[in-house]
Amino acid sequence: MVDERAQQRKAWTRRRLLQTAGLTAVVVAADSVLGDFGGWTRAAAVALPKPRAGARIRLLQWNSFVRAADDELRRQAKEWGDANGVTVDIETVSGDQLQPRTVAAVAAGDGPDIIQMQYGWPHLYTASTVVVTNEVNTLIERLGKVHPVNEAFCKVRGEWRAIPYTQVPNAWHYRTDYFQNAGVKSFPKTWDELIDAGKRVADATGKPIAQTVGHAYGDSLTMWYPVLWSYGGAEVDKDGRTVVINSAETEAALKWAIRAAQNGVKWFPEWLDPDNNQAYHADRISATLNGASIYIREIVEFKKFDQVTGLAGMPGGPKGTFTLNLAMNHAVMRWSKELETAKAFLFYIMDKANYSKWMAAARGYNAGVFEALYDDPVWKSDPNLAAFRNVVVDPAGKPIGNWPGWPARPSKWTSQSQTQYVIADMFAKAIFSGDSKAAMTEAEAKLKAIYGRP
Amino acid sequence: MDTVSRPAQAAQAPFPKSHIRFFEREAPLGFLLLAPTLFMLLAFLAYPFMVGLWLSVTDSEVGMIGRFVGLSNYRFEFLNDPVFLTSVSNTFVYTAVTTVFKLVLGLVMALVLNQAFSLQRFVRAALLLPWIIPTVLSTLAWRWMFDPTFSVVNWVLTHSGLAARGVDWLGTPQTAMASLIIVNVWRGAPFYGISFLAGLQIIPVELYEAAKMDGATRWHQLLNITLPMLRPVLLVVLLLSTILTFADFQLPFVLTNGAPYSSSHVLATWAYAQAIQGGAIGIGAAVSLVLFPVLSIVTAAVLIVLRKQD
Repeated sequence: MVDERAQQRKAWTRRRLLQTAGLTAVVVAADSVLGDFGGWTRAAAVALPKPRAGARIRLLQWNSFVRAADDELRRQAKEWGDANGVTVDIETVSGDQLQPRTVAAVAAGDGPDIIQMQYGWPHLYTASTVVVTNEVNTLIERLGKVHPVNEAFCKVRGEWRAIPYTQVPNAWHYRTDYFQNAGVKSFPKTWDELIDAGKRVADATGKPIAQTVGHAYGDSLTMWYPVLWSYGGAEVDKDGRTVVINSAETEAALKWAIRAAQNGVKWFPEWLDPDNNQAYHADRISATLNGASIYIREIVEFKKFDQVTGLAGMPGGPKGTFTLNLAMNHAVMRWSKELETAKAFLFYIMDKANYSKWMAAARGYNAGVFEALYDDPVWKSDPNLAAFRNVVVDPAGKPIGNWPGWPARPSKWTSQSQTQYVIADMFAKAIFSGDSKAAMTEAEAKLKAIYGRP
Repeated sequence: MDTVSRPAQAAQAPFPKSHIRFFEREAPLGFLLLAPTLFMLLAFLAYPFMVGLWLSVTDSEVGMIGRFVGLSNYRFEFLNDPVFLTSVSNTFVYTAVTTVFKLVLGLVMALVLNQAFSLQRFVRAALLLPWIIPTVLSTLAWRWMFDPTFSVVNWVLTHSGLAARGVDWLGTPQTAMASLIIVNVWRGAPFYGISFLAGLQIIPVELYEAAKMDGATRWHQLLNITLPMLRPVLLVVLLLSTILTFADFQLPFVLTNGAPYSSSHVLATWAYAQAIQGGAIGIGAAVSLVLFPVLSIVTAAVLIVLRKQD
């Protein structure tokens, strides 16, 4: 009897195989024919989510440092809402309020229909998000491959849990007049050159190169992980569990940071994300690493140092040049009663033309994370903005960048290490105590406590 | 006729006699009046506390109720987490030092305000300002004053010749803790001052007059009349302040958020980092409940002293 059933299953499988193969051939043929009418028609072959007239949805995300970007998103929300009879509420909160608000919603099992997920949050709140694999695949058909960093954050155990949205590229803002006064012709290409330039600029002008080494949820990560990687260090092995911070490579990175501090570069352990912006606009420093908000405010609002602000990518170390940017993606939340409407809205803002309008409003503060969005016209609108594009994709168009915890895949443990600022704290401790070994040992203990958890 | 009209009258009366009799009994009425408060206490204090207690013995994560793991979260924190141990010691230092300063300053403030002088009412109102302004706003202002590049405090220090260079207020573990203590004392002293002032104003003047007649100096009056008469107020204020300072979150979170290098975390900010930012709700709950036995002992001690005094 068992054998008979097994044979029936085999026979059914063969038949099913033939049916499936036939169906696939028809779909592929139809798809290629429809494809001749353009990318949009190709994607339309897949059932797209449809908004429900009369629905009301709410999207929660951070306040962009470029207000015009949020205004454009709200405009699009109204435009799409009016066309479909849907009310879209866009709620924005400060960056450090977004996570508590998200946690409150996740714990209550209720809240906004769509939440912006920063960094590895989809790995922390997986059960509260819906699978959007079909939707992302449709977007991939339309817009090409997803940037590997956003893919790593959005994909949990092979399933897409958020729709890739954007990155906030970080580049060095520096005062070309101060650098010229000090005889430094261009921004340093290596970390060692940065020490040399920092000393010369500080000596000549009294304005140091400066950056946070504190608990800034953006700037601390974008600075110190790349420094660590460029010397060959890492916090955890590829397996995501073995702590490897205690190494000669990490020590070399720490010694570089100590040396930089001894040569006039200022590392501030108390600075939060807005502090380097304020110091730059107030003419207190000669260079800092940041998103494009400093540059944009100078050219749009302050117009004090806009003509003497240069932009440059990350310097490199012995193991190469590394970048890390703030990544943001949109998750549709499990409790939403308007799942289809929420997904349809996200499709609308990810439409290439709409996305491009939003990018234009953001003036280079945001970068697209699908292949077709890499060469957005915004990057050509101002040649200086190339520095921001080039930390997301290299000049040849190849995506670059890593995530906190790399080379391990993002996980709840990498997120915990990130939110506890273990790496930035290690650098801070080394810089202010001068004892790189003790700082490394302390970081190792913290990391073992995190990665040793079940 | 009577037999027909009586039930009709009873139906029209606002309360039946049996109900009136129920309200005349002391115990049921007492329980009835207590019920709303009891409900509020159960719903908003006991229930969250019990949930917190339960979470602390599970491996719960945000959005996921975990399994019972006994005391392993507590064990883990005590044995494996260096930042937790720093947070425990910081919390004790923060509470002890600020309480002593607030007590002394509050007493001085109350004694001064209890004297008659011009603009007395204005000064009383002005001294309450730190207590009235939302903590987040006032702490942000202090953060700005302690900023390494824009500090007005450092500007005054250096331009007045009091110091050759500014203080790195938030940049070293010691100065960061000192800054936390300064801001907490600035904010909390008026609460002590106003409470003590209320206590001072109910001390009978006759006591001081009699003491004067007996030749008591001001110092003797303070030791033998003022402080003993203030004792009940003092103990209650001390109790409330200790509990609030032990659990203080807003001020340390906004001023330092643990920086530099996680050396200025107190238990509340570390619990937040673990539970909200890191998603480890079980561990975060354990961190926040570690002080519960200590606070219980402090509360019990104060209540026993107060009862003995009664």
